[in-house]
Amino acid sequence: MVDINETLDCTGEVCPYPDVRSKRKVKKMKSGEVLKVLVDYPLSAERIPETMESLGHEVISSEKTGTSAWEILIKIK
Amino acid sequence: MAMEFLYMLIVGLIIGAIFGFILQSGRFCMNSAFRDIILLKEFKLAKAVAVSLAVLAVGFAIFAFSGIVDLAPKAFKPWSAIVGGLVFGFGMVFAGGCASGTTYRVGEGMMGSFVAAIGLTVGALMTAGGVLSDLSIMLKSITVGTQLTLFGEFNAAITPIFMLIFGIVGLVLMFFFWAFPAIKKKIDAKEPFIKFDNFVESTFKKGYPWWVTGILIGLILTAGFVASNGVIGITGGWMNISGWLTAGEFSVTGGLAWSGFIIFGILIGAMVSAIVAKEFKFRIPKDGLTVLKQFFGGLLMGFGAVTAMGCNITNILGGIPQLSLHSIITGACIMFGSWIAAYLLFMWRKD
Repeated sequence: MVDINETLDCTGEVCPYPDVRSKRKVKKMKSGEVLKVLVDYPLSAERIPETMESLGHEVISSEKTGTSAWEILIKIK
Repeated sequence: MAMEFLYMLIVGLIIGAIFGFILQSGRFCMNSAFRDIILLKEFKLAKAVAVSLAVLAVGFAIFAFSGIVDLAPKAFKPWSAIVGGLVFGFGMVFAGGCASGTTYRVGEGMMGSFVAAIGLTVGALMTAGGVLSDLSIMLKSITVGTQLTLFGEFNAAITPIFMLIFGIVGLVLMFFFWAFPAIKKKIDAKEPFIKFDNFVESTFKKGYPWWVTGILIGLILTAGFVASNGVIGITGGWMNISGWLTAGEFSVTGGLAWSGFIIFGILIGAMVSAIVAKEFKFRIPKDGLTVLKQFFGGLLMGFGAVTAMGCNITNILGGIPQLSLHSIITGACIMFGSWIAAYLLFMWRKD
């Protein structure tokens, strides 16, 4: 198990809020910390991992945890 | 053109449902497409829009040549295109979806988008016959030419040739610049180009790649054009449903018509797609202010769509393939409008 430093709950939000909020959140976090993002919006669930990877962060996992519910773990670079 | 009620009911629902299925699976929304060009530097949906435009230009041209459809590019009304397009584009960022994006998200169970759809309908009705109609009529009063296209006045014999060239050149360029590098990468990595073993999984359970979405949207809207001999619109459909609900008349005149059945079809298709992919859930934004923003955005979109004589589907996917100058300017203004709103909402505050 990974230690999660912070959790960002973006459920109920449509794009671009989950995308923008997670982008802003990782900027404020320190290197090596792990962020958990909760989303229930398909497009953001596909995009957040892509965006994070392009920013150089490590996407530890991106799992579908239920009906239209995803949990994304990101390790800050 | 009067269509048989049963034909509208069955064909409208079927075409709408396939369209809705593709919209949901491809997450096809021009709000995301345009806005994210500057906001997230993400181009996949914008590429899907570009592919669909080229496919539609070829599709419309073929059926126009064979005399099956009558092309009808809109008259160029500069003020209506500029003001309507900018307001529509600005509004869709607040609404969290363009006309089609909002509609398919209602089918996914997004209640915020349902509020946006109501805003869109109210805004459109206010502009078509309410307090905003004078302003809208004024903006539409100046017309340049009769049916101006990118290559001069519309000509039923010549314009389809330009459309065909536009579509084919577009497809070739996109293949060369966007698809070819990706294919080459796959060949170099010795990956199979298309994985057939998980065809069912990728067709029904996963989001589509941008090029698949673009091609499918192009094909279904070409089918929609052929079936109704006219471009498909979203805003008119919501207005039709509201007219039907308030008048309570289930008849061809004044009741539910082609455009309304398309909307019902999209809702059903998107819902089926979302249920199959296990993505259907009733969701409501936690913040009441977001819901209010979405309603406000919907109102602006309604005004914009009626003023510009069409929403993003009618103008961008219906008009640009016909090379209508009005639709091209409207489309560009929708994009600029969304950039202005994205800047104000998300990029102005640097935090």
